[in-house]
Amino acid sequence: MLGLLGEQGSEFAYKVDFANDVVTIISVICTVAIVGTMLYFAVIYRQRDGKDHETPAIEGNNTLEILWTVFPTLVCIWVAWLGFDAFVDLRSPPADAMEINVTGRKWAWDFQYKNGKKTTGELVVPVDRPVKLIMTSVPADTGVLHSFFVPVMRTKADVIPGRYTYEWFKPIKTGDFQVFCTEYCGTEHSKMLARLKVLPQGEFERWLADDSEERKLAGLKPADLGKELYAGKQCISCHSLDGSARVGPTWLKAFGKEGELADGSKYKMDENYIRESILYPMKKTVKGYPAAGMPSYQGQLSDDEVTAIIEFIKTVDGSKPIDIAPAPAPKKSGAAAGATPVERGKAIVHDTGNLCTTCHSLDGSQMVGPSFKGLWGRKEKLSDGSEVLVDAAYIKESIWKPAAKIVQGYGPVMPAMYEGKLTDENLNDVIEYLKTLQ
Amino acid sequence: MAAHTHTAHGNEELNYLNWKTGIWSWLTSTDHKRICFLYLFSIMIFFIGGGIAALLMRTELAFSGPQIIKDPHTYNVLFTMHGVFMIFLFVVPGIPATLGNFLIPLMIGAKDVAFPRLNLFSWYIYVFGAILGGVAMLNPVDTGWTFYAPYSTTTGTSVSLMVFAAFVLGFSSILTGLNFLVTIHQLRAPGMTWMRLPVFVWASYATAVIQTVATPVVGMTLLLVIAERTFGAGIFDPSKGGDPVLMEHLFWFYSHPVVYIMVLPAFGVVGEIIPVFSRKPLFGYKMVVLSSMAIAAVGFIVWAHHMFVAGISDFSAKFFSIVTFLVAIPTAVKVFNWVSTMYKGSISFTTPMLYAMSFVFLFMVAGTTGIYLAMLGVDVYYHDTYFVVAHFHYTIQGGAVIGLIAALHFWFPKMTGKMLNEKVSKTAFAFLFFGFNLTFIPQFILGMDGMPRRYYDYPAQYQTLHTISTIGAYLNGFGYLFALANLFWTAKFGKVKAPRNPYNSVSLEWQTQSPPIHENFPETPVVDKDPYHYGTPTGTHA
Repeated sequence: MLGLLGEQGSEFAYKVDFANDVVTIISVICTVAIVGTMLYFAVIYRQRDGKDHETPAIEGNNTLEILWTVFPTLVCIWVAWLGFDAFVDLRSPPADAMEINVTGRKWAWDFQYKNGKKTTGELVVPVDRPVKLIMTSVPADTGVLHSFFVPVMRTKADVIPGRYTYEWFKPIKTGDFQVFCTEYCGTEHSKMLARLKVLPQGEFERWLADDSEERKLAGLKPADLGKELYAGKQCISCHSLDGSARVGPTWLKAFGKEGELADGSKYKMDENYIRESILYPMKKTVKGYPAAGMPSYQGQLSDDEVTAIIEFIKTVDGSKPIDIAPAPAPKKSGAAAGATPVERGKAIVHDTGNLCTTCHSLDGSQMVGPSFKGLWGRKEKLSDGSEVLVDAAYIKESIWKPAAKIVQGYGPVMPAMYEGKLTDENLNDVIEYLKTLQ
Repeated sequence: MAAHTHTAHGNEELNYLNWKTGIWSWLTSTDHKRICFLYLFSIMIFFIGGGIAALLMRTELAFSGPQIIKDPHTYNVLFTMHGVFMIFLFVVPGIPATLGNFLIPLMIGAKDVAFPRLNLFSWYIYVFGAILGGVAMLNPVDTGWTFYAPYSTTTGTSVSLMVFAAFVLGFSSILTGLNFLVTIHQLRAPGMTWMRLPVFVWASYATAVIQTVATPVVGMTLLLVIAERTFGAGIFDPSKGGDPVLMEHLFWFYSHPVVYIMVLPAFGVVGEIIPVFSRKPLFGYKMVVLSSMAIAAVGFIVWAHHMFVAGISDFSAKFFSIVTFLVAIPTAVKVFNWVSTMYKGSISFTTPMLYAMSFVFLFMVAGTTGIYLAMLGVDVYYHDTYFVVAHFHYTIQGGAVIGLIAALHFWFPKMTGKMLNEKVSKTAFAFLFFGFNLTFIPQFILGMDGMPRRYYDYPAQYQTLHTISTIGAYLNGFGYLFALANLFWTAKFGKVKAPRNPYNSVSLEWQTQSPPIHENFPETPVVDKDPYHYGTPTGTHA
């Protein structure tokens, strides 16, 4: 009727809106009537010319008291019923509702469908089909309260760590709608938004069955997913599968191995050790490897993905060779050829066997090592406090003898594997290429 | 105040303000009227502090996108500060500790409260709690005034200290409530029967019951939050078998009744003002008294209406919805009785009367929008949106704070011995009333449009209403500043002396001199009439 709450997107929205309309009309009438009566009395019984006039000592009227106790009670019973009736609908999902798992975390919404498809920040549902959201907040031990509010659907429920809550709706129209987090959850609370996309049923089915990357990964056995991540998340850059030494320890027959840490204590490579090493690599360093050599993957890998990597490491037991699709077999970089020095330098830097771009970005973003962008001619502050100009001599020294000078804020983690591998001529080409990255 | 005047004007002028002088005489005074001023000055610091926080937030929200506050954390700190200052340090002690202190002994014909030294001690506890709260703001808390777990048990800010401050402030509230209960029971003047008590005293009595019964629960809850943070107790931590929703239950078990601590005394104030300026007995005195007690009683069993979407069972939600409607009925009864009091009256539009009449309008809005939030299916939509923010501010600002300001204007002649300038007072009222409505009416509409609360930034579609609300907030803020400056200036420099009974009221507090002497009445008064015996049996000259 009044359309106060905006567009109606769900089957029960009209019920909520009807209750809201009724209470609005009653409220406006009551307020106008009471305030109007007060103003009317104020005008007609005002003191004229500031002179008091005689008043009757009316102390009350029992009939009126009964009337204005009973009448509001009846009105309250009616509107309470309307609210109750809408609420029953809001809390009664049909048995055939499509279930979608929703997890709230600081500060994003994740959705997972029955077939394993996952999305973040975007809930896609079919029109004319009831959808039940089964919601919880993660992680269970440090998660906080959230609340999933879809204004157009007229529903909302808090999302709580350690337990499941639900809400449901049956979309009656397609479109793209706003979702808010409405329970204060910390710094980025106001950015914890999501979109609700209601698609025609056929389109939704196609979307759901879409053989996307996520679905492929989600459908894999954990060890296979771990293998994908091994290449996809750049583990491959520092950890070999064939026993050869790289920046970090090899994964060959690594699971269950015992050894010594840099501080002399013992470690055993079990599930918890691997998990800790992935999420908090600074905590423990195996003896003989650079401290702080590995970036943290906290926030980049889900719990399932960490488990998958552990499962994969278990399979690297030497019983069979493991075939990694984009095999980064080290090539002789001398083969790098090209017309100009810049092109040759570019080929060397981008050669996966040289691993430069694993730790050095080209776009200015900070990775394990300083970015190549703007490196040439820059003044770098070293860890001993001195300053150095990045020139040809400095670059050559840094590549051949990486431990000699360490830029402040970075660890001594670059492997000394280039002396003998890259010639003086190669480095001149690399320098020409770096000069172009301004 | 007028510190040395008694030597110049003789014994007639000796009153509670000048019978002892010097700051030390104030800080050690057990006179309930002086303690009223100790509270008044302390709570005003936090009213202004909380108000500045509110204006900073409104400035930030004037337009979509970051404005003056560059990061969301600072915004979150500001709304926490606004809430903690306004609730725990301003409104809860607001009317009870100031006017309750000043008026209860005067209205019942007593020399002081039952335990004058405990009364002063309560103020010192308040000051201690306030200092703790101030120190906690050095590493500012960002939990919101509700301290919901698990956020409050995991955030890195000084929540423990802030929560401890609220715990300490709770003691001040409990002891004040206890003091009033005993005072009203034991110290009534001869003839001051229960049914002759002014409605302000009844409202204060209902308030005191809530203060003494509900406050210990929040104290316990806040200690549990500290235990959780310090020892990892696990009561609210699901990974240890605890439950964060339990924290909400315990919190609202106090914090819903506390709304009545804030607003019941304001009801009492309105019940005092309207009869005086209508020259009529309060209509349905017994029903007004009964409704105060009913609100206080029912107020204890409605707390979970704050939690309809918080994961409580549907059965609980239905129960708490029904009992919440029970609060609406006595509240409606009060409004009907106030308005009926004006029937056939002889109405004068003094500043206090304007505040009282505006209160009726503001509280109608507050009450009717409360109905929306009691309706289950509708509340699911409005919960944690700006609709709730607006409703709450109509209740607490439109109710409790307007009630306090009305009371300060009404009893000003008695408290200070000076008369206010009516024109200046009415101008301030106009700014305040207009600014307040301009701030919060747009927020109702924002809530209807789905705008969530506690948002540092918002989608651009909400901008126009936010801009209007911000303009209103500035007018409102200016109105308060104007009104308070007027009160303060007149108290200090005002020239017009107040007579004993400027409004020709029949209540006991107006029968003694203005300002009253140290122990209120030269001799114990004897009461032989009803509290509002205005008018004549026929209404015409006898």
